[in-house]
Amino acid sequence: MKRLLTLVLLGCALLARPALLQAQKFIFTPQWTAQAQFAGYYVAQDMGFYKDAGLDVEIVHPSATESAMNRINDNKSHAITLMLPQAMEIIDSGVRLVNILQTSMNSGLVIVSRRNEDPLKQKGIRVGVWSAGFDQLPITMSLKENLDFQWVRFASGINLMLSGAIDATVAMSYNEYYQLMQAGVELTDTNVYRFCDHGYNVQEDGVYVTLDFYKKNKEAALKFAEASRRGWEWAAEHPDETLDIVMKYVREGRVETNRILQELMLEEILRLQVDRESGKREFRLRPDMVQQMSQLMVDNQLLLNGVTYEDLIAQ
Amino acid sequence: MKRLLRYLRQSLSARLSLGLVFFASLVFLVTLGIMFVQSRKAVREEAISGAEQVLDNTALRVQGILDKVEIAANNTSWLISRHLDAPDSMYVYSRNILVNNPELNGCSIAFEPYYYPELGRYFSAFSYNDNGTILTTQEGNPHYEYFTMDWYLLPKLLDRPCWTEPFADYNPEDIYSKEMIASYCKPIRDLGGKYIGTLSVDISLGWLSETISSVKPYPNSYSIMTGLGGTFFVHPDSTKLFYQTIFTETLKTPDPDRTALGKAMQRCEAGHRRLTINGEDCYVFYKPLGSTGWSAAIVCPESDIFNGLNRMQRAVLIIFFLGLILMLFVCRRIVSREMKPLEELTRQIETISSGQLDKELPDNGRTDELGRLYQSFSGMQHSLVNYIDKMKATTAAKAAIENELKVASDIQMSMVPRIFPAFPNRSDIDLFASMTPAKEVGGDLYDFFVQDNKMYFCVGDVSGKGVPASLFMAVTRNLFRIFAQQGNDPETIATDINQFLSQDNNQNMFVTMFIGRVNLDSGHLDFCNCGHNPPAIVVPGEPAKFLTIEHFNQPLGIMEGLPFQGDSLENVRETLFLIYTDGLNEAESPTFELFGDDAVLQQLSESGALPAEEVITRIKSAVEAHRAGNAPNDDLTLLCFRLLDLTKN
Repeated sequence: MKRLLTLVLLGCALLARPALLQAQKFIFTPQWTAQAQFAGYYVAQDMGFYKDAGLDVEIVHPSATESAMNRINDNKSHAITLMLPQAMEIIDSGVRLVNILQTSMNSGLVIVSRRNEDPLKQKGIRVGVWSAGFDQLPITMSLKENLDFQWVRFASGINLMLSGAIDATVAMSYNEYYQLMQAGVELTDTNVYRFCDHGYNVQEDGVYVTLDFYKKNKEAALKFAEASRRGWEWAAEHPDETLDIVMKYVREGRVETNRILQELMLEEILRLQVDRESGKREFRLRPDMVQQMSQLMVDNQLLLNGVTYEDLIAQ
Repeated sequence: MKRLLRYLRQSLSARLSLGLVFFASLVFLVTLGIMFVQSRKAVREEAISGAEQVLDNTALRVQGILDKVEIAANNTSWLISRHLDAPDSMYVYSRNILVNNPELNGCSIAFEPYYYPELGRYFSAFSYNDNGTILTTQEGNPHYEYFTMDWYLLPKLLDRPCWTEPFADYNPEDIYSKEMIASYCKPIRDLGGKYIGTLSVDISLGWLSETISSVKPYPNSYSIMTGLGGTFFVHPDSTKLFYQTIFTETLKTPDPDRTALGKAMQRCEAGHRRLTINGEDCYVFYKPLGSTGWSAAIVCPESDIFNGLNRMQRAVLIIFFLGLILMLFVCRRIVSREMKPLEELTRQIETISSGQLDKELPDNGRTDELGRLYQSFSGMQHSLVNYIDKMKATTAAKAAIENELKVASDIQMSMVPRIFPAFPNRSDIDLFASMTPAKEVGGDLYDFFVQDNKMYFCVGDVSGKGVPASLFMAVTRNLFRIFAQQGNDPETIATDINQFLSQDNNQNMFVTMFIGRVNLDSGHLDFCNCGHNPPAIVVPGEPAKFLTIEHFNQPLGIMEGLPFQGDSLENVRETLFLIYTDGLNEAESPTFELFGDDAVLQQLSESGALPAEEVITRIKSAVEAHRAGNAPNDDLTLLCFRLLDLTKN
């Protein structure tokens, strides 16, 4: 009898244990394949910061057929990363997303010209831009500056630029910029136009969840944001170890890159996280930048109603 | 080191051997250096030629396959343009191209969005070879917007056929699952020439990789292939494939050589460069692959290229150094053997130089330089012995002569009064005289004596020096004594002496002479100057001066029968007289300056009040100082006297 009672109690305990200790499943999808742009999340995962926060986070990268936005729309991912203008465009179209963590404090967007000339002095040239998006700021700028660029939407890479099929390309200062350098393209102060230096310093990467999810899982969302922030801070303090972690994800994802590119990317991503005015990693949306971007996009009819800071942040 | 240097200094054979070996090694080194440089150049040119040939062959093979792909695409494209009104036929064309070209992997005939409005936004007839089975499908959809792909955009934007960079295809059906494909893409135009889509023919890179990888002209060489962006598409390190470019490592560590190579390959140039890869010096030979924009290269470690040459060079150098050591050894032996007679000669010479001059040198029977040296030395030894014998005889003779001269000198000196005070019994005469011959014997003379309370004195200087002059002096001195002792006055004495000396004077010798006679009672002086220097006098209270002489006569012995005239001074008491020969005023310094009359007077003025001996001592010191170590150039005779006025004291 006593043995039976023990077995019953033990059975109850085993049944109750998962319910007590099971961490909340949380699927996170960055907007691109594995690379140092998402180093902080990989660190938080591998260093157990998510687990410490009681989250069972799974990082699922987008595929060619399934973008991050597709995944969140299909409720396959709970949180995704988006660039601010992209998020604003989505919110303006009626999808309710909220920003739970803003990592980027500066724009890494550049336009690189094939010729050693200022891209803005070459009206009507063919400029490549990703078909997946991230084109809001370049288009806004080109409209405002009356550049009459011919936008060529391409999937990815720098081959169009190298072959001379396009005259210039939109690039990220942490990604394609170094890919171009790695392909032997000479980048100078003349042929590289940096948006951040010409009044278009707009924040970029941030973590977004749907408003519905946020309302129902506010605690988990905030824990994810906090653990992710911890991951980024650790990455800034331990760049070498972070690079090791990044390369692990790169290898798993069979991404066509290398350690040197990822090292340069990590350095640049961490630099873009430092606010120019405060000199600190602030991890927050700046209302003035939101307002500036919204106004630019509205003025150039990329947004219908505009998006406010309050629309973006989780209330 | 010091011991070695000392040994070298002491050993001629070692120095000779070393010198020979050093010169030989210099010649060999220069020869070997030129040979090595030329060999290296030849090997390098051979390597370049070989590598270029291999690359040419590879490029031709690759081009042959690529041509096939291009021909297949070209053969189909005109059909597409002619049957645009039948979209379904595109599936047939894309399928047929694979059926007819089994080496191809896939074919897309893709059109601009909504080209066929009834078919929607996407229409791309795509056939692919699935392990021998050719399947056909329409590949465009919202998740695979083919018109954003490089293969589609490149011919559209470039407006010409082209090869894409090798790429990993992202097909929604995961057909290629990241298989690396290269595509030949051609723009499709309608009959009006307007671009309406792209024909793309895919080929796997596997064959290309194998073809290029198989190029291995040297054991450790390897081949690479890079794309337009320098990406490695063929590389022995698989971790670099598609992930790294030729420039990647230069991002962190600038490497101008590698960058220059990458740029040259990007520019589709052909050539070769030397650079360091992973710390190893390599030659990289590169050549573009057709019109693809890709470039193939062979990386050959320099050590591989020059391996055979380096081995040969090492062997040659080892032989060279061993040869040098052997040469040094052999040279040393030969030189030592050849030098042996010299050592023998050295020993003989040492024996001879120790005093055994009569020791005979053995005949070594050689007729070469050493034999001649022996003979010469032997001759020299005999000459030396003879010379020494002669020297001994001469030295003995000279010693005898010197001895005789010494005796003659003593005799000559004994002919003149040398005991002072000359008149110890007379307090009114202060007289001192000195005669210093320039050689062992001289031609000067002096004499004095008192007779009948008159003091006769003379100072003379015979022409010439040495023994003849001394004999003439002896004669003259004796004549003075003879004629003076007859009580004659000085001019008579002079006349008599002249008369005597002039007769049979075959040698034409003569003598200058100052002859004087002082009346010791009256202080009256008679004198006759026969061509002699005027005496210097010091009258008390006056500076020194030369005695005023009215009658200068000729020297004695020149002409027979000549009358001599004399002079006189009334009273010469307290007047200091210095009668001297020209050895005083013509004494020469090392710079040939004469002592001079002025110096005579000055010396006399300074010492005029001193006793006669002291006066002479000072004057002789002054002359010594003037000569400053110079040997006397003439006999020096001084006679100084003062007739004291005893009444004053």
